[in-house]
Amino acid sequence: MIRHQIYAIAALILAVAATVAAADTRLSSGQIARSLAQVSGTSKLDLTADQMRQEVLAHIRNYPGALPPQALTFPQLANLAQFTVEINFNFNSAAIKPESYRDVGAIADALHNPILLGYGFLVIGHTDSVGGRMYNVGLSQRRAEAVVAALVNPFGVNPAVLAPVGMGEEQLQDPRHPTAAVNRRVQLINVGKKFCFGRSGEQFLCQ
Amino acid sequence: MGGIRASAFLIIGFLLGAIGTAAAQTMSYADAVSQLAAACRTDLAKYCRNVELGNGRLRACLDAHQNVVSPGCQQTRAMVYASISRRAAAQRDIGRLCDADIERLCGTSHADAHLVECLLSVSPAAMSPACNQAFTDSGWRTERAQQ
Repeated sequence: MIRHQIYAIAALILAVAATVAAADTRLSSGQIARSLAQVSGTSKLDLTADQMRQEVLAHIRNYPGALPPQALTFPQLANLAQFTVEINFNFNSAAIKPESYRDVGAIADALHNPILLGYGFLVIGHTDSVGGRMYNVGLSQRRAEAVVAALVNPFGVNPAVLAPVGMGEEQLQDPRHPTAAVNRRVQLINVGKKFCFGRSGEQFLCQ
Repeated sequence: MGGIRASAFLIIGFLLGAIGTAAAQTMSYADAVSQLAAACRTDLAKYCRNVELGNGRLRACLDAHQNVVSPGCQQTRAMVYASISRRAAAQRDIGRLCDADIERLCGTSHADAHLVECLLSVSPAAMSPACNQAFTDSGWRTERAQQ
């Protein structure tokens, strides 16, 4: 009887310990916001989301193959504040899995943090190497758009500060394991002040 | 497990209802949407598979199935979307609602993050009720204190 109680208590302690460990690995919106707020330069970014999409397609044309022989790089983005989150989607779909809702909510909490007010963000979707490279560009574009759509409605982020870009598999996080989960991710990059705010909260383009 | 969790949400929902919406705290978006995912896990898989979270699509799907989803999901859905809408409205409108307060209490334009600094530095009693409520609903009062 007593032994059973000890086992029960031990099981309870293990369960609590497991819960605490799980809580520690959860994304913190404060952490996301602080990472994204580390703005270095103030100069205007000389690269648009549309130009990025063109460069992704050009990279596939110029460097053909089943896998990208080298990663596509954007020197203009190298020093900008960024944060990367693994988001799980249904297979071949832009529907975010419910297990990832919390992380999308945490991104929304971070983007609403007053320290990020008015900043613009690239929302870059990345896939692993399963599927063709061109197909993955389209899939990651739809997924980046799905994340933006969720941030806007229901979470109320201003759509004017978000630009979705599908990177496909052109920037694998782990090129040695191109099908690993770590490659399937969404990356936020702070591209600088998009809007300034006036006396009554009205927004206008910063000069 | 699902039953216990569903009952817990029912109780939480009931308590929130009993306290009254004016006094209820809004949740962070992360907490709100993870409560939805937990309480509606089975229903989402059954009725809303491959439905996108954004563009109001998930909410529309849960609305369309409100007569068949579990009571725990139904209750949590209402509470969660009310919290999300309230927080989003407060974060959107706080500049307008607190403009005069900030001018009066801090003698400055709110413009940006200074809005939170100003409002944290003054007593809630000194603020207009609308500004005070918006600051509470925005989540910025408690979240800044936790950092």
